[in-house]
Amino acid sequence: MPASVTNDTLLAFKAGRAFRRDGSNVVEADPAKGAILLTNGDDGLLHFIWKNRETDVSEEDLIIFPTDATFTKVDQSNGRVYVLKFSSSNQRHFFWMQDASSARDEEFANNVNGVLQDPEHPLQWGTSGSSSSAPPAQASSSSTTSTTPAAAAPGFQATPEQLDYLQTLLRAGGATTGAAEAAAPELEASLVDILTPANLTPLFTNHPELVPTLFPYLPPDLPMPPSAEVVQRIIHSPQFRAAVASFDQALRTGLLGNLVRQLGLPEEAGLGIAPFLRAVQAKADRENREAGGMDTD
Amino acid sequence: MSDEEQSGWQLTESDPGVFTELLKTLGVPLIVDDLYSLDSDSLANLQPLHALIFLFKWVASGDSESGPGSSSGTYDPDFQGFFAHQVVNNACATLAVLNALGNIPSLPTGPQLGELVSFSTGMDPQTRGLVITSADWLREAHNTLSPPSAISLEGLNLPRKSEDAYHFVVYLPVMGALYELDGLKPHAVRHSAYSEDGEGWLKVAREVIEARINTYPMGSLEFSLLALRDDPLPTLQSKIQEAQQAGNRELEHELLSTLTNENAKRERWAFENSLRKHNHVGLVHALLMVMAKSGKLSEAEAKAKEAMKTRIEQRKARGEDMDEDD
Repeated sequence: MPASVTNDTLLAFKAGRAFRRDGSNVVEADPAKGAILLTNGDDGLLHFIWKNRETDVSEEDLIIFPTDATFTKVDQSNGRVYVLKFSSSNQRHFFWMQDASSARDEEFANNVNGVLQDPEHPLQWGTSGSSSSAPPAQASSSSTTSTTPAAAAPGFQATPEQLDYLQTLLRAGGATTGAAEAAAPELEASLVDILTPANLTPLFTNHPELVPTLFPYLPPDLPMPPSAEVVQRIIHSPQFRAAVASFDQALRTGLLGNLVRQLGLPEEAGLGIAPFLRAVQAKADRENREAGGMDTD
Repeated sequence: MSDEEQSGWQLTESDPGVFTELLKTLGVPLIVDDLYSLDSDSLANLQPLHALIFLFKWVASGDSESGPGSSSGTYDPDFQGFFAHQVVNNACATLAVLNALGNIPSLPTGPQLGELVSFSTGMDPQTRGLVITSADWLREAHNTLSPPSAISLEGLNLPRKSEDAYHFVVYLPVMGALYELDGLKPHAVRHSAYSEDGEGWLKVAREVIEARINTYPMGSLEFSLLALRDDPLPTLQSKIQEAQQAGNRELEHELLSTLTNENAKRERWAFENSLRKHNHVGLVHALLMVMAKSGKLSEAEAKAKEAMKTRIEQRKARGEDMDEDD
């Protein structure tokens, strides 16, 4: 479909699409990088367009009559999933914000809604302190963010909204938010392939002194005392393997900045698999040096 | 909204160890065991046996019904026993257990369960189902054995995905007839009466269950059977002593062997349950630290990337959807 974007683009921002899986209430994020554009078309009508940023093709081009549609936050997400709804039909189009930072989500959404109600609606920018005179046509992303999205909850307890958002992202096979867009997520190592019994068992045999370092992290209510054998049983168990897979997927969302701090790692370690592994290696090297240092005289 | 968020009931594994732990929390001296065969010897070994639970996943495509219908038996809208509708999908296992427990006469229970059952006397199945699902203490007991919420991404990578709904049907005797209690059916289903001699109700149950299994094309039905029975442990010790005193060495050895097996099974259940309740993130990190300290992490990461690349290429070659779960 040829792009029907005219020079009269009212606003635009990075967003992906999400689709409801047949027969269920689950909305799955499509990982394709895209943008939502609102334009005044040649036909004099308001167009709500979704463009694929990689192919530059406008894959959705909806004509919207004033007041017919709304663009609202999906409550059960962490605030980054929105739905375009029509009063004239049952159509629902789901989108997810793809800008690295969620700081401007509300601003974009409010402006979209304003324009959907009235194409003459004066856009309001500047809530984050930027100039209000020239609305930016694209959400800025060239400066990659170093802040984790505000949505990350402290500690191990993610909110139900975040979990649902994680779920929608994860169903897309590891699609990440803008922060990690540079890395092709599919080619990242999976923790599931790293923490295999094949990799771990030789370690326990060759470095028996490292096994007790694991004991504090074993379940506290095991029916037997901790031992290398127990650790072996655990790493082979379906419950542990499922937990590795879950953590792997959670890490890929890039939202675990606060959680990884609890592990004694820097916040950047929560941005994805590769940063996490790098941070682990750095910490291990430091601890090895410190332990080795004690022996020198 | 996911089932979990809407209701607060999390998805749990349907494992005898999980069920038995729930029964303990409910203050009920019964256990649940896997049942591999319906033949009379297998069933006899499990006596006293109170109910059979038939657990299945309907695999046929295009069938949006929650499961197969059973053609035998009749609806009993005037059923005087305990029958509740399944109101929340994730609660299905616990609901099935309650439908069984609520019909076992003179069953010792903890106070909360006792109150719940008597409170719901005379209610219609739908209301009873709502009462059960709104019982916070019950929901908390149920949720104890699902992974901690930080990594409980509902339905993802757990042994049973939320879209593979398992369905539970309870078979047990109530007032002289075999009943089938299926939380997704409008009423309790009455099969035939049974005679108390010989195997009693189990004979009818076997016929009904086998007939049901046989109505499906081979391989289309993934199912398992569970037995709800008295906990044998309390009486095993005294039976062993009796055998010892009677000088019955053969019986004594047989019972000792049963005791050993039973204890091994309980230890396995306790081990698995402790893993289920545990947040493994700390252990994942600690294991990666061990790998990093022994210099094996980068090599493992490189191999893992290769493995992922190969997997993706294979999928593309097969023309598969990238959303496919691994």
